[in-house]
Amino acid sequence: MSEPVQRPERVRVTAPQSAAGPGTTYPVAREMAEQSDVGELFVRSLLRSQLRLAVVVASGFLVILVGIPVLFSVFPVIHSWTVASVPVPWLLLGLGIYPVVIGCAVLYVRSAGRIEQRFRDLVDDQ
Amino acid sequence: MTFPELNPAVGYVSLILVSLATVLIGIYGLRISRTTGDFYVASRTVRPWWNASAIGGEYLSAASFLGVAGLILLSGVDALWFPIGYTAGYLMLLLFVAAPLRRSGAYTIPDFAEARLESRNVRRVTSLLVIAVGWLYIVPQLHGAALTVRITTGLPSWVGSVAVVVVVCLSVITGGMRSITFVQAFQYWLKLTALAVPVVFILIQLAGTGGSITDNGAVFDSGLNTTADASLYQNISLVIALLFGTLGLPHVLVRFYTNPDGVSARRTTLIVLGLLSVFYLFPTLYGVLGRIHTPELAVQGAADATVLLLPSRIFDGVGGDILSAFVTAGAFAAFLSTSSGLVVSLAGVVSQDFFRASVSGFRWAAIVSALIPLGFALLTDTLALAGSVSMVFAFTASTICPLLVLGIWWRGLTDAGAIAGMVSGAVLCGGSILLAAALGIDQAPQWLRLPALWTVPAAFAVTVAVSRFTAGRRPSSASRVLARLHTPEPA
Repeated sequence: MSEPVQRPERVRVTAPQSAAGPGTTYPVAREMAEQSDVGELFVRSLLRSQLRLAVVVASGFLVILVGIPVLFSVFPVIHSWTVASVPVPWLLLGLGIYPVVIGCAVLYVRSAGRIEQRFRDLVDDQ
Repeated sequence: MTFPELNPAVGYVSLILVSLATVLIGIYGLRISRTTGDFYVASRTVRPWWNASAIGGEYLSAASFLGVAGLILLSGVDALWFPIGYTAGYLMLLLFVAAPLRRSGAYTIPDFAEARLESRNVRRVTSLLVIAVGWLYIVPQLHGAALTVRITTGLPSWVGSVAVVVVVCLSVITGGMRSITFVQAFQYWLKLTALAVPVVFILIQLAGTGGSITDNGAVFDSGLNTTADASLYQNISLVIALLFGTLGLPHVLVRFYTNPDGVSARRTTLIVLGLLSVFYLFPTLYGVLGRIHTPELAVQGAADATVLLLPSRIFDGVGGDILSAFVTAGAFAAFLSTSSGLVVSLAGVVSQDFFRASVSGFRWAAIVSALIPLGFALLTDTLALAGSVSMVFAFTASTICPLLVLGIWWRGLTDAGAIAGMVSGAVLCGGSILLAAALGIDQAPQWLRLPALWTVPAAFAVTVAVSRFTAGRRPSSASRVLARLHTPEPA
């Protein structure tokens, strides 16, 4: 952590319920997006794209996750497979699933960033 | 029951060192904590790597450090669902909550609820639930501390719980969130080292003796399990509880408010996923090795001590002492970090709602937030740590998760809908867990013991239905607030 050279004055800490809620300062792009009908439309479509992305990634992941125990119970023979004396279910659940989790997360972060970039470009064009 | 194989001096030294380090870092943090924002959310300037380490440090509780290995000892492969759920919960948090919540500008979950729904009543209900969740979650931490102190030093159990509460109160009331961020980030790396170093030595030692580390696969034999195989329902209901419970944990969410912006909130979550994935390899290894090296712990009802005792089973003398000191220090760090994270987030809520949100109010609130669960912990018996924590996840998933997810993504949410959803989730989930406890954990049907699979959808359904029925109560600011949550910061 690098410390800023000019440190703020020490203040008495008071009721901190100020930052939340409508009516605080925020970026011009956002202001514009809210106050025109076109802006409202942009925000609605942004929200829809983000929600669709999140739901798609979440369902993909859940299908894989729930698929594993279903696979085990449909094909119990998997329990007897081993790799270097470690049974396959242990490998899948102890190691294999984690790269899947991280893969889903990376995919989401990239796509969500792209959706936001597209929104910024649209607002800047206005 | 005593464990003469551990040298009590080792226990004392590691417990004292970890406590001292925690308090010292807390005092250092006080000197740079200057404004209201510093105190509550570290002025929202915490960089992703620091923040992610701090989230890891805060999140990896007694259940992760001791409980996962203990459950693997007891239930074998079924126990692996716990670390998966604990990790993948952050994926759900990333997808549905991380960036919008950061952009909300709120300090706590009740702040968010009030700002979104413009209702003091929603705020009150949310505050009560957050406080309940926090207290329920601190109790297993204190049980873990009691177990660790009893096993490593031979002192009575209550000493461990009391020691954690004292250290947490000292570090929280001196520094607030900023110092806690430093403490927590330090704790993650301490916990990782504390598990990784001993297990590396253990593996080298076992490989060096010529035999097979896994005893030719015998460690994985389900005949070693002392519990019945989990059904498909159990596994899925557990995973649902863990996935959607993480979303609503107050001490996790408060960390997202400390990111500079929405994009860095996402980056932080990504790093957290990496840190957790690496971390959980180690408790898993301990659990697997424990199945042949400390199997008697399962019968003695002390499976959660596997991590603490494994090093001294493999190494004799000074080597065993040093490695035991590592795991003891790590375990104590786990209780301290999770408890202090919970106390900070609870104190934030309690002080705003009951102490007029001054700094001295925050300090009093912190003390109250730590003492009440201490009372519970001293009055109740230790359950399996990972199991009792998973009940808290089920409860959070059935109450706070619907409020957050629908509040962030659905314009139609109303105050009446949110309250109805939270109350019915709390009653259904809390009721089934209590009923299961009354029937006896072994006799209770699985849908009572692990209710998340039906209580989470039920809470969502009630919230949506009541919101639709009371559509006239939609706050007029809903569109504006949603725009604020979802529009990106200027590049």
